[in-house]
Amino acid sequence: MPKVLIVDDAAFMRKLLRNILFTGGFDIAGEAENGKQAVEMYKQLRPDVVTMDIVMPEMNGIEALKEIKRMDPSAKIVMCTAVGQEQMVKTAIKLGAKGYIVKPFQAPKVIEELKRVAGI
Amino acid sequence: MPEKVLLKTPVELYENGWIQKEAILYNDAIMVGGLNILFKEIKDVELTSYNGKTAIRLQTNNGEFFLNFGSKQGQIFRFLTFNLKADRFAVYFISPAIRGGVIVSDARWEKGYLAITENAIWFLSPNKQIRIPWDNLGSVGKELKTVNKKQRAVLKVTHVEKNEVITSYVLCPETTLELLDQYINQLLDRQKPREKLSEIEEQILTMVYSGVDSAGIESILGIPTEELNRYYDRLIELGLAKVVKIRKEIELTPKGVNLVNDAMKKVVG
Repeated sequence: MPKVLIVDDAAFMRKLLRNILFTGGFDIAGEAENGKQAVEMYKQLRPDVVTMDIVMPEMNGIEALKEIKRMDPSAKIVMCTAVGQEQMVKTAIKLGAKGYIVKPFQAPKVIEELKRVAGI
Repeated sequence: MPEKVLLKTPVELYENGWIQKEAILYNDAIMVGGLNILFKEIKDVELTSYNGKTAIRLQTNNGEFFLNFGSKQGQIFRFLTFNLKADRFAVYFISPAIRGGVIVSDARWEKGYLAITENAIWFLSPNKQIRIPWDNLGSVGKELKTVNKKQRAVLKVTHVEKNEVITSYVLCPETTLELLDQYINQLLDRQKPREKLSEIEEQILTMVYSGVDSAGIESILGIPTEELNRYYDRLIELGLAKVVKIRKEIELTPKGVNLVNDAMKKVVG
């Protein structure tokens, strides 16, 4: 089962994603509530996929994406964005994000997108 | 009386059964047998299935008609949608742009119309005739989007289609955009609940939207079934949700317990 690291500053969104992805057959490697924590956890856990929120305190999703890609160029990161963050999505894709999901999301589509990125 | 005949074709009209007729399409009306339907009287048109056949449903001031044009169905449906009684705005649109939270990769801007009727809004182009009934419309609002490397205000329309949330975008001159935003939201406002939701109610709505089941919601929120049921009742009362399944909880009687014991002996022995 692919391991996922969930990164979002809202506890509710982390719980929601955890539920959706666990039901969809993913293992939850861990949860981080900001970019800085995400980078540290990525080092330790080496998940197969990361869902990365964009707007977060301490270190935002774009900066965390850069750090993780610097550390592991093959990292598979799916940006998790709210509406109106199109420009940031484009930046993220240029920086190597493999996909993006838009909040609010629906479970089948999230699972489909993450499976695509994970290559299963 | 209409003058210019565009097409004559066989058609089936439903009148207590499918009956063969001839349809004559004019520039401002369609005549089916002795029935003359002026385009300006058509309130709604829908591609649907009816009594075992795909059919065009025409709703007019004088009632509802189901017509099956066979191989010409698509062509005639397209023609009728472009001629139905509606407020029509020339726009560019992408529909669908996002499906269930995932961007549709091959979505492109199309030149066409946004049409507003009593029952639905429509995205119309030569390739697409998308009908969104008012009941299925979620929200409409302005958003900034990069179009041809420029930041442009667009209208974002979300709606539900077969349990999936679809987002579409509309691009047009800003004055038209403003007008569309206000006009559609005024119409939508009639359906919105007046009461404000609590944070937990909003979270429950989001989870239902995402497809989390009741057990999942209880576990995420750490609340018992009875409390979740109370929240459900309120969301239903506000018209924000509907009941699709009633779950039964049971416990075994002594007879049931004995049966399980017997069944286990069979498995083990």
